[in-house]
Amino acid sequence: MIRRKLSLAAAVVTAAALSLTACSGGDAPAADLTSVSIMAPFLEAQPPGADGAVQKKLEEITGKQVKINWAPNASYEDKTNITLAGSDIPQVMVIQGKSPGFVKNAQAGAFWDLTGKLDKYPNLKTTYPDIQQNASVNGKVYGIFRGRAPMRTAVMFRQDWLDKLGLQPPKTVEDLYKVAKAFTEQDPDGNGKNDTYGITIPKWGALGSNSPYDVIEEWFGAGNRWTERDGKLVPSFETDEFLQADRFIKKMVDEKLINPDFATFDSTKWNEPFFNGKGGIIVDVDSRVSVLINLFKQADPNNFQNKVGFVGNLEGPDGKLHAHPTDGYSGFLAVPKASVRTEAELDKVLEFLNTLNGKDAGILLNNGIEGVNFTVVDGKAAPVKPETDASKAVTTDIKSYAQLGMNVAGNQFYPVKQPTDYEQQVFDKRTDVMAADLKSAVYNPAAPYVSATYVAKGAQLDNIVADARIKYLAGQIDEQGLKDAIKLWDTSGGDKVKEEINKLWQDNK
Amino acid sequence: MAAPVVEAEARAANRPPVRERKNGRFSVHFAHYKWLYLLLLPGVVYFAVFRYGPMYGVSIAFKDYVPFLGVNGSPWVGVQNFTDFFANPDFPRLLGNTLILAFLNLGIAFPLTIVLALLLNEVRLSVLKRTVQTLVYIPHFLSWTIVASLSFLLFALDIGPLFQFLNNVMGTNIDFLSDPAWFRPLIVLQDIWKNTGWGTIIFLAALATVDQDQYEAAIIDGAGRFRRVWHITLPAIRSTIIVMLILAIGQMLNTGFEQIYLMTNALNREVADVFDTYVYFVGITQGAYSYSTAVGLFKSLVGIVLIFGTNWLAKRFNQSGLF
Repeated sequence: MIRRKLSLAAAVVTAAALSLTACSGGDAPAADLTSVSIMAPFLEAQPPGADGAVQKKLEEITGKQVKINWAPNASYEDKTNITLAGSDIPQVMVIQGKSPGFVKNAQAGAFWDLTGKLDKYPNLKTTYPDIQQNASVNGKVYGIFRGRAPMRTAVMFRQDWLDKLGLQPPKTVEDLYKVAKAFTEQDPDGNGKNDTYGITIPKWGALGSNSPYDVIEEWFGAGNRWTERDGKLVPSFETDEFLQADRFIKKMVDEKLINPDFATFDSTKWNEPFFNGKGGIIVDVDSRVSVLINLFKQADPNNFQNKVGFVGNLEGPDGKLHAHPTDGYSGFLAVPKASVRTEAELDKVLEFLNTLNGKDAGILLNNGIEGVNFTVVDGKAAPVKPETDASKAVTTDIKSYAQLGMNVAGNQFYPVKQPTDYEQQVFDKRTDVMAADLKSAVYNPAAPYVSATYVAKGAQLDNIVADARIKYLAGQIDEQGLKDAIKLWDTSGGDKVKEEINKLWQDNK
Repeated sequence: MAAPVVEAEARAANRPPVRERKNGRFSVHFAHYKWLYLLLLPGVVYFAVFRYGPMYGVSIAFKDYVPFLGVNGSPWVGVQNFTDFFANPDFPRLLGNTLILAFLNLGIAFPLTIVLALLLNEVRLSVLKRTVQTLVYIPHFLSWTIVASLSFLLFALDIGPLFQFLNNVMGTNIDFLSDPAWFRPLIVLQDIWKNTGWGTIIFLAALATVDQDQYEAAIIDGAGRFRRVWHITLPAIRSTIIVMLILAIGQMLNTGFEQIYLMTNALNREVADVFDTYVYFVGITQGAYSYSTAVGLFKSLVGIVLIFGTNWLAKRFNQSGLF
């Protein structure tokens, strides 16, 4: 009998537990504007807690209860789609880019069209209308973009090697070749062994992903993803300059000036050959300069200067500077229609975002809390030393809260004061070099346009060319093979993409 | 498929009529065993809620799914996703890659499991046997990420120990990690290293049940070790082998997403793309949920056909099938 009762109890409990899981969820709260719910990604190991100092200060500045639903960055896109399909939709969503999923949702009416609505909010009116246009879907603005420095491309090299060989920093792609060749063949580390090479390139193939290949192609004049030829937009890889650039890279691969495992080299180890004195050059975003300097500083705090040198973009063989910019934004903050139902409610939400984009909130989200984790010195934010538990908590939290910053009218916060004079000099030089290069930036003319065919199968199409490019460089196929792959791109749907992009471009001119 | 159905029905007709009960007798039966049925209930509910319930989501394979519109709100498109997939130039390549890898795994890794189980069974020194068993189980508990990282270290261009050793022995200079010709051997090797030991567990259990008297009789008759394995051990575990084979074939097209995804790069993608990685690539990274669901559904259908086919074959050859 006892056994029987036990099994019955177990069965009942299990059944009850199952029925409980079936009824979770519920209706979304009506948009009451004492509180605003936001969905945002976090890039740290843990999301910030709901009762941190930053959270309290944020609610103080905005005068609203701010409910942030942090979702891990790695699965953010999935989470976005699941959230939109569910019933508990936040009032503001950070969207990380114009992914096919987002475009489909937006075109189905999931988000408010903010075109022309933003200018009456002083902090949401952008001073970069081009970038706002780039972030739009065929001219429709579905969100307030999160501004990023548009010019970030730099060439980093071992300054000590350059000095030892008596070379000058490269100015043109031809110089890059010469420096890479000297780094490979002239024993720049002076150990008597032939154990160095020029440029390190990691596994990084996708088209238009700001990879070293994309950058060098743009320097040659192939354009930025799309380029105008004879009154029409064509993909960069259909230009002669693209082939020229790839021939140039292949020559360096063949002469072993580039790491031979460039197709498989793990990008998280990118700094290692540079730091360990194997490969002397990296082509990437300029923030890596600081990362590299820090590596040398950690190894030897007294002697880390003059290890890392850098220049900005390089002149192409035509003697002109075609600088490679990023898109200038990193996703946007969009307002779902399912949770913000009327124009009046939308106005309230935009007012909140206006406050969030103001100076006070900008400093909070990016610098932290003055007096707790930083002090202002000469208009720069200097970290508080020594660190306390409170300052550490704020510094950690703002790495996530910075995801909410938009800065559509330039940065609304203090630049960070660098720890040493040398690093401050490098930082200032970076700012100057990037500002100078920005004047020669060649943007993607098709950035605002989303072609239906490309949404459906663009990534597969691009893979055809991206893989062929790597195969060509590795010597698996010849130049004819690369050209054939580009033709295959056309016939597999690329022709249609071109047609659609050109139509959108003409219509919006 | 008509023949096997007829065959199965004929066989079913010859069996004693176990399941044919009248309603009245069933209620008596039910009343008698009601507590047992109650015990069954959680299991049934579990399968209904977590296994069968979500299957309605498969309907998006026949729709143009937009998350915002939901599963029910998205428009129907019929079999458009399937025709797109079959007409896609990627289709033959994916099918070929998937099948080749599947058959390599089935043809090499599966027999190796049996061989290893037989070898372990022949070890008489109990300490040695247990040690070896434990050692060969360990790789199973490592994630594919770790296995892939180990491979990258061992085969790293110019500096990996296995890269150096193998190229020295063969007198070549092959980059195993990016050479398309070495992709499949590498995948099969990883699979063998990781899963063969773990796979022996069931066979070892079956081997433990073999009647020891038969061995003694065979020894008296003068049978050597190989004779004994061939004539006693293998026939004794034949039904276990068949069941495991059917299960393995049902899983055949699940080529292991993580393993292949981690080992893929631009130079070997041609031979590396399989259904699983394609579904991820198209479905998750490009947001083509309907299309990739259609691909996944196709894969499942092939899996079902394979299971029923093998089961039928097994019965044809007078072996006990799985069902």
